Amino acid sequence: MDWKAIANAPWIWFAGFVQAVIGVGQAWYFLRLATRLLGKHGGYQRKDVWAIVRGAIITAFGPIMAEIFVMMALIIAISPAYAWQREGVGVGSVFTELVQVSNAAVGAGQEFGSPSFNMVGFATAMVVVNVSCIGWSLGAAFFTRYLAKARDKIARGDPRFLAVISVASTLGIFGYYAANEMKKGGGRPTAVIAGAVLSAFLFKLADWLKVPRLKEWALGIAMFGGMYIAHLLGS
Amino acid sequence: MSPGNEGFVDIAAEPFEKEYLDPVHRVGFWTSIAISVAMFLPALLLYLIYGAFAPWAAILAGMGLALTYAVPFFIIEPISYYPVYGDAGNYMSMTTGNVSNLRLPCAAVAQAVAGVPEGTRKGAAIAAVGIAVSVIIGVAGVFLGSLAGGWIVTLFPKWLTDAFKIYLLPAVWGAVFGQFALRGPVYAIPAVIIAGVPLLLGWKAYLVIPVAVFGTILVAWALYRWRNIAPRVG
Repeated sequence: MDWKAIANAPWIWFAGFVQAVIGVGQAWYFLRLATRLLGKHGGYQRKDVWAIVRGAIITAFGPIMAEIFVMMALIIAISPAYAWQREGVGVGSVFTELVQVSNAAVGAGQEFGSPSFNMVGFATAMVVVNVSCIGWSLGAAFFTRYLAKARDKIARGDPRFLAVISVASTLGIFGYYAANEMKKGGGRPTAVIAGAVLSAFLFKLADWLKVPRLKEWALGIAMFGGMYIAHLLGS
Repeated sequence: MSPGNEGFVDIAAEPFEKEYLDPVHRVGFWTSIAISVAMFLPALLLYLIYGAFAPWAAILAGMGLALTYAVPFFIIEPISYYPVYGDAGNYMSMTTGNVSNLRLPCAAVAQAVAGVPEGTRKGAAIAAVGIAVSVIIGVAGVFLGSLAGGWIVTLFPKWLTDAFKIYLLPAVWGAVFGQFALRGPVYAIPAVIIAGVPLLLGWKAYLVIPVAVFGTILVAWALYRWRNIAPRVG
């Protein structure tokens, strides 16, 4: 049987559903727990929580659409069911998925995307791409409870220094991603700079105008605005 | 609206730990284990239904290559992201992926909308709400995307799909960077320089990311230690 047909058969949709049920169940439980805590001990009313949810939905829209577009490469190269199984709740990022499939193919002595890739290559990929990412989930299971202790030990109970660590580490991560895109050239530096300027401006504008609801939209508008400006100036 | 940074009052430690953290760790542990086990399901089903199983030599060689790429990130990512999204955020992010491009921006916006600083108990609970929402709608979106396949792409003009593929991600990095640059403007330029120099030298990502994170923290620590400069806490 052709590996492409097997790669879109019900078994792989089913495997994706099992993962999705666990992932969504976990998220739903944490959502309930966090909203209950915020309502009971944080002084948040239902409308406040809804504003947070709305902000997250607006922000998630762009990256999810981008994920779906990039996923098309997986759908074409392998199958829709494979894209669902790996990207629904699959630990890995859509951007690194094809790299890992290629690594698996090399392990099987084949080249992904060439006629040499066959059932052996696909079976190897199914083991390698799925099992190689359990380091993240097992790490979460066994080490999450120690992350707070490590952070508090570094900050030594000083809330100002805790804020220093949080903001500096986030700027460090996104400084890396931003610099990495800028290095690639083309319209990408424009997208980074336009996204950054728009986002900073919109968050500041929300404070100036005293319209906190604008913050729900700020990151979403900045993402699409940055993308559109880069399209206009970069091509 | 929720309390702003001025006069910020955090959730008391005891209810946070008993009513939130304890169940988060209990459920987070078992769901993370369940996801880890479920990762073996595709290979198992492929073997049980079609009798297809990869040769061990191919698996070991492929795993070697894949883990060379992934192992540094098993350690770097949770340590780097944890200060922003907390315990529940870590369980969800490390079991569902797409952290930097989806989970972290949603956590950051949730905290900004609530006017709550990251690194606090309230900030952690709010980040959990943002990330949980991103997981639920992300799974729904990916399912629809998988079902609809190429049809969705045909609905959009080519320039738009190209723009999504090439420019959306850089715009996401820029947008989140811009948001946090407001919280710590003095760290912004050092952060880009600290990441940019090793990138220009051609270092691998698994080396550049810790250098960028811990280098920026070091600069921020120095500014705090000797100039008493820190982001607003409340």
